[in-house]
Parts: sequence; structure tokens; C-alpha cells
Amino acid sequence: MAFVLPKSELRRVIDELSKDYRVFRPVAKGSEFVFDEEGEPAMDYDTTILPPKKAFLPPEETMFTFKRETFHVEEVTDEKPVAVVGIHPCDLRALHLLDKVFTGEFVDPYYMRRRQSGFVVAINCVKPCEHGFCTSFDAGPGAKEGYDLLLTDLGDKYLVEVGSDRGKSFVDRLGLDSASSADVEKAKELVEEAARSMARRIDTHGLVELLRMRIEHQHWAELEARCLSCGLCNVVCPTCYCYNVVDKLDLGLNEGARIRTWDSCLLLEFAEVALGGNFRRERSARIRQRILHKLLHFVDQYGEFGCVGCGRCVKYCIKKIDPVEIVEVLRGGA
Amino acid sequence: MTENPFIPKPAVIKAIKQQTHDTKTYTLAFVNEEDMKRFSFKPGQFNIVSVFGVGEAPFSITSDCEEREFFEHTIRRVGTLTGFLDGLKVGDIVGVRGPYGRGWPLEDAKGTDILIVAGGIGLAPLRPVIKHIARHRGDYGSLEILYGARTPGDMLFTDEFDEWRKISDTTLRLTVDAVPKGVEWPHRVGVVTTLFDELSTKPENAVAFVCGPEIMMRFVVRGLLERGFSKSSIYLSMERRMRCGLGMCGRCQIGPKYVCRDGPVFTYEEIAPLPDKIL
Repeated sequence: MAFVLPKSELRRVIDELSKDYRVFRPVAKGSEFVFDEEGEPAMDYDTTILPPKKAFLPPEETMFTFKRETFHVEEVTDEKPVAVVGIHPCDLRALHLLDKVFTGEFVDPYYMRRRQSGFVVAINCVKPCEHGFCTSFDAGPGAKEGYDLLLTDLGDKYLVEVGSDRGKSFVDRLGLDSASSADVEKAKELVEEAARSMARRIDTHGLVELLRMRIEHQHWAELEARCLSCGLCNVVCPTCYCYNVVDKLDLGLNEGARIRTWDSCLLLEFAEVALGGNFRRERSARIRQRILHKLLHFVDQYGEFGCVGCGRCVKYCIKKIDPVEIVEVLRGGA
Repeated sequence: MTENPFIPKPAVIKAIKQQTHDTKTYTLAFVNEEDMKRFSFKPGQFNIVSVFGVGEAPFSITSDCEEREFFEHTIRRVGTLTGFLDGLKVGDIVGVRGPYGRGWPLEDAKGTDILIVAGGIGLAPLRPVIKHIARHRGDYGSLEILYGARTPGDMLFTDEFDEWRKISDTTLRLTVDAVPKGVEWPHRVGVVTTLFDELSTKPENAVAFVCGPEIMMRFVVRGLLERGFSKSSIYLSMERRMRCGLGMCGRCQIGPKYVCRDGPVFTYEEIAPLPDKIL
């Protein structure tokens, strides 16, 4: 089921969604892009600083408020569901991976509610971004599933593919025209062309078995000399999910809130235990944790690679530490 | 709407018992009778104990799991939260959620001899095992307990030792790292592996349950392997900082293992190939 949306009509999509949702869309910010709830959508963005996971897993959120004296607890819930317009296929796949973490054996009610009530408009990539390697993980440049609507830029209009009942009724509400088979074909070709021109790739063939034998390897110590342990790679990663929890109290020391915030395994405090112990005191152990969690441990935990090849970690890394390069070195290549 | 697993339930402190100069056993019961009725745990599992405004942390449950009126935590004062707990009185309320994790394999261990090796506060999660074996004595072979602490004054549950010795086919061997001047100590001196020369449990049909500081478990594991225990017959209770207890916050991961959800009890075989440990 495919439709077409003239580019001039995109604003109407956002206005219509805004009636029911907080609508995150890519907008320009200086020379970069961010997902924001306001501003003109910049649908031909390359990547955003923070991934759109922030709509479903905010950098900071209050889980509940409490009153100490009475043990009164009040759960905090959102007033309005979230919609994300213009999410790239890599970030869409990242949400699928986060679903595995937060709605598996145990369910995180905050995340699950946002996902269940959320609306996702993805957009296929028709030109490769500079740092991405999404084809390594089948995470792009075309989206396969997990969207309500999927756009492909056809020049003067978008092809709109429907991925859910919710997406279908929204299309009906907009009253879009059906796409021609030529439109569908053109979109397919554009995505295939983008895939062909992706320059960067991690060879995942036999990677899990290889990495199991590279847990001890001199390259981790070499990376220690480069890594600044700043945690930026965690912050911009669409699949990093670790969080910290802190309590905040008001000045009266009675009322307060339990708050969770994104955490970072690159920071020294992350693996600290009581009495000053630390199981990843060396920076080499911390960078290994991050890389191996994405490419090895996540596979053991959830059956899929935990990286989607969005390229943000290398793009924003001050020292340009690059998973593609790391894997090449560990493979004994270049 | 399903229950939010992150919201702790109020539990009242019924009794506090001083175990050592820095360790107390807190007897707790949920304020809401329904919560108490629904609460059931297995030896080796833990709760997350919460003080609003201070934080929360995991603590092993140290009471008899067939005791359904209350539960106990034995907690050493080492940080901010435990320091705060140390200042609480009988009648005070804390938040509790749990139980979490995979405990000791007492079902699978039926019919086998059981060796317990504990160091310091590490005896806390093993006390429910001893109580369970005492209740179901016929289900298990011999029970041998090796317990080490820094000094005689750092030993937990000392007033229960005579009772444990009376459990049939049970041996309790004690050692301390050092004996302060003027203290009478009729047992061994040295780290817990000192006791291995007295070890009577034969590895052929036995499992070892080990808990203590990770560096102590490192040497215990090596000693047990030397004495013929297999990697899969050595069970260890691991400890890492946790935020959720549900395999989500990521803090407690060792390689692909979430200590909270996949452990805290693991076989040495499971842990041996993983990074970031001192075992």
C-alpha cells in the first residue's frame, strides 16, 4: 500500500500529528541537526547529534515522586504520546533493539507506554551519510519494518508506505493520492543505489566467534592511549540504554523524586562498587566493554548485533575512534 | 495497568540485631499484608532496599525462606545508603522491591554433598542455604561450612554456630585473618583457603557454594579446582552495583551476563570466560 505526499504537504503531516502527539522532527541547529519538538523539518538531514531514542527514553526522566514522611508514591506518566517524524532506518532498527531490552522478560513501563502509544514516520536514506555503515547490520539505508509510515524522497514528493493500521488510518485522514508503480519502483532504485554507494562497512561474517577470541588483545591498550573516556559515544548512540538512578529531595527533606538519567560505561564511576572497588578501572576495559557489548555481548543477550551502524560515535568522537577500524585491526587486517 | 516494578513497597523494621561493629541484621515485614503474603524467595535471591531521598541498592535475603511472616537482610555499613540504614530504628519504614535473581541451585543439588565457603559478609546469602538444608536434611549429603573473617569480631551469626554444628553430618570450620591481642580464638588463623587442608568434602558428588569478596573467591576457586572440583560444580554469588534489578539499567553487566537477572549465582564455568572480573 503506497501513497504520495507532495513535499509542500509535509507541514500538514506534522500539524495533523501535533493534535495528538508531541512531534519530534529533525531540525537544523547550527551546522548540525537535532530532533526537536519545534521548528521546520529538515528531512534531508544526514544525521542528528542525539538519536531519536530520546523521545522514548529521555536523557532524564522522573520515575515517581515521593513523600518521605508518609511513604506516599506517585508514578509519573506522560500527558501526551510521542511521534517521531523523519527517523532514519538505522535509528528505527535501534528502537527495535531497545524494545528487546525494555520489553523482554521484564518490562519497563515508562518505555513500553511510549512505544505502544507512539507514532513513527521513518524516512529512507537516498544518499549515504559520511560515517554510517548501516548495511553491515541490515539496518539501512532502507527501512524494512517497525514504522507506521515510511517516506522516500522522490524529488518533488515523498513516496509514503504504510506499515501499520495506525499508519493507514492516518493516511486516510490526510487523504493522500495512491502512488503509481513507477513511484514505487523509483523509490526502490534510489534506496538500492544508496546501498551500493555506502563506502563503510563492518564485515560481520564470523565476527562473533572472532571477537570471543579477541577479549584479550593488545589493541584495547592501544585504544586506551587514544580514548579520552569522555562518554560522548554513549550519549550519541541510538542503542546505548544503560541508565543511572538518583533521588532528588526538596529543601524540606520530605518531598522528592526518583530520577533516571542516561549513563555511560566509558566513565570511571560506571563499574565502581562499594569501598572504592572498580571492575573497569582501566580505560582499555571500558572501551572494550562498549565495543564488545555492541558487537559480541548483545548478540549473546538478544540474538542480534547491538550496533546499527549510524556512525555517530565516530563522527562525534574527538579522537575519531571508529568501530569499523577497530574490527579491521582485530581481524588482523589493515 | 500492570504494576510498576520500580516502585518499592513499604516495609517496617521489626527488629535490629547487631552482628558485628559495622554489620546489623534487620528483620523486616511489608506494611501491607497482601505484599507479605505474595512475597516468597529462594535462597541466594536478593531484594532492592530503598530509602527515599538517599537511594536504593541490592541486598541478599538472609532469612529462612520458609519463614513467611518476615524476612531479613544483614547489612554492613560501607557507604551512603548503608550508613543511613545503620541509623534506622525499630518501627522505621524502608522501601523494598524483589525478590530478584537466580539463587543457589538447591533443587539440582539434592542428593549431593554441599560445601559452603564464605568470607566475611559473604555468609549472609548462604545462611538461607544452611537453614534450608537443616529443614530438609534427608534431601542432601554431607554439609561442610568453611567460614573466614578478618577477626573473630567480624564473624556473623556466631550465636547460631552451635545450632549449625548440631545439624547431622555437618562440619563447621572457622578461620580469621588476624586475632587481636587479648582475644581468645580456638580456631585457625589465616585466609579461608587455609582451611582447605582440613577439607573433608569429596569433589566427586559435591557442589561448592562460594560467596565473599571477589579476590577471596578467586583463590577459593583455584583451590577447589586443584582439589578436583569441576568448573560447573562451583557456584559463586557475584556482586556488582545495580540500579534496576531487572536486566535493564546495564550497570551490573559482566560480559553478556546481567548479575541481577542471570545471577547473582553463577557457576564458575559461566563466569570464567568473561572479562572484567578478578576471579
